[in-house]
Amino acid sequence: MVSATTSTSRDGARRSGPDGADRDGAATPARPRWRERLADPGTWAELAAPVGLVVLVVLFQVLDPTFLTLGNIEAMLAAAAILVVLATGQTFTVATGGIDLAVASTMTFSAVMFGVAFGAGAPVGVCVVVSVVTGLLFGLAQGLVIGYGRITDFIVTIGGLSIASGLALVVSGGQPQSIISTFMLRLSTGGVGVVGYPVLVALVVAAAAHVLLFHTRFGTHVLAAGGSPEAATATGISTRRVKTAVYTLSGTCAGLAGVLLVARIGAAEPAANTQFLLNAVASVVLGGVALMGGRANIAGPLFGALLLTALTNGLTLLGVSQFYQPVAVGSVVVLAAFLSRYQR
Amino acid sequence: MTRPSLRPLSFAVLPVLLLASACGGEQDATSSDTPSGDGGDVRVAAVIKGLDNPFFQAMRDGIEAGASDAGVGVEVQAAQSITDTTGQAERLTALAQQSYDCYVVNPITGNNLVQGLAQLPEGTPVVNIDQPVDEEAAQAAGLEIDSYIGTDNEAAGALAGEHMVELLGGSGTVGLVAGVAGDVTSAARIDGFSSAASDLDLLPVVSADWNRQQALTAATDLITANPDIKGFFAANDDMGLGIARAVANAGLEDQISVISVDGNEEALQAVADGDLAATVAQYPYAVGQLGVEACASLARGEDVEAEVDAPVALVTPDVAEQALAAFPQPFEDGAAAASPTAG
Repeated sequence: MVSATTSTSRDGARRSGPDGADRDGAATPARPRWRERLADPGTWAELAAPVGLVVLVVLFQVLDPTFLTLGNIEAMLAAAAILVVLATGQTFTVATGGIDLAVASTMTFSAVMFGVAFGAGAPVGVCVVVSVVTGLLFGLAQGLVIGYGRITDFIVTIGGLSIASGLALVVSGGQPQSIISTFMLRLSTGGVGVVGYPVLVALVVAAAAHVLLFHTRFGTHVLAAGGSPEAATATGISTRRVKTAVYTLSGTCAGLAGVLLVARIGAAEPAANTQFLLNAVASVVLGGVALMGGRANIAGPLFGALLLTALTNGLTLLGVSQFYQPVAVGSVVVLAAFLSRYQR
Repeated sequence: MTRPSLRPLSFAVLPVLLLASACGGEQDATSSDTPSGDGGDVRVAAVIKGLDNPFFQAMRDGIEAGASDAGVGVEVQAAQSITDTTGQAERLTALAQQSYDCYVVNPITGNNLVQGLAQLPEGTPVVNIDQPVDEEAAQAAGLEIDSYIGTDNEAAGALAGEHMVELLGGSGTVGLVAGVAGDVTSAARIDGFSSAASDLDLLPVVSADWNRQQALTAATDLITANPDIKGFFAANDDMGLGIARAVANAGLEDQISVISVDGNEEALQAVADGDLAATVAQYPYAVGQLGVEACASLARGEDVEAEVDAPVALVTPDVAEQALAAFPQPFEDGAAAASPTAG
């Protein structure tokens, strides 16, 4: 249903990055000047997340000086790492005009498979591989059904959401598995300065995704297939393969996020992580990625994830009532969606 | 280049997506069906909360054990998650069509199963466990609950509160981490704790959706905001374990005591290991067992007590090993003596 609205109304496959760098001069207009860009509301849609983040940081810092202490920055980054990985994977599916509603459940399922391998006595390295491969395979299965079965992304991944969370319960027997491992403990608590290892993992994933999206033929195909499936097909791009690939990517990211989740909480449990799903989609939208596809960037969702994390963190520091917090978070998301009205 | 006609669409799509995905999470329920015990003509149906929390798995185990002890067949259905109110109602509606002899229900909220229970044939006995069915709603629907077996969540919170006051020597800052905002069980536990520990400096309640990871994040934030914090109370064990992790990450195990409620196996182990200061065990296993026994008695036309309090116990490190050994049964001999059967 999302991709149906794309049609050919978009100006072909746009290939502008967040920095406005053009990859292909033929399909896109010349790079606009900065002044023109600032006057264009579309720029503000792209910058919604970074600008919002700066505004929030200033606001919270004024209200509570502990906000920008090193310890709190470290805590926020650590809390955002999983979300960044999920949002990065999600960006690819949204770029094709799809959506992966199963990301959070795939993560849970992968984490549980980590626990199963660990419980069976496998070394931690193997458990990590099991987790990532579980995500990859689940994503691949979804991608194949979407791409070759020609069923709407939305429906397939809603089904996938249920299946993955069900499988997590089945495989684990509903029981949490404690993971006692020095490696996992160091992964979650160690790091370089204020940047914990999970944050480094998230940054590496984001950087790799950026290169993949903007500096490879695959990335161009993703944006083309999202911008205009008909035109993409006409130029010989297999939208089926693209779909399969982006869901595999998203699943793999979820598998990796599963490892980070296990490291973070020190256990593999089949708990529903609904909030991660909502925040992953919200981060992507906050980042100025068009839900109709064809227009994406990686830095935006990264800032979106940081913004959502900073928002919850700041509200907690300020002691805002638990009843008002969801209202604040929801308002920010809708505000960003409002900005995205002005997307070109 | 801009197509104005498209603008409102992207605006409209997001809320729809969020809504749909939120519902999607709850749509399918995981059921745990037990092969009916072959001992008997009496068939009992039980509908409980989400099996994604070990608390309710223990409850299911108790129901199954109680059914086999009482010689009745049982069908246990559960919501997919602890927030799956509508999915749970659908399970009950489906079971209501199959005319069981008695129904055991543990509703997620006071109201979400009232409609389903009202559809039961006149006179079918209903036993309510754990979460009470809202009295006014039940009356309005002409519904009669034959027996209620449950833990007083407020009392459980109070037990934790008293212990916290004792541990902190009467003063100190304490963080409160609740389940889903607005949840009745969470509110009762938090209220019980707050009134018992009113002398302590209590921070505003933070909600972590019953989720370990979210509790970890919230606790980290609270420690940052209040470096002198001395204790945490979590409305369930999963969140308590997340908080304990945050405390360990901050290296403040000696300064901060964490108390939670439930008495899950993992939490009992954490108490034994010293990660948690205490957990208030509520014995879902015993609640399930007592519930199905009451149901069996009712189905056979016997009388049962209208209200039974299931055991609650504070598990501190000195009794944790004992509690672990007895799990999922209560570890104190007297604790489980309550029986739903009258005379």
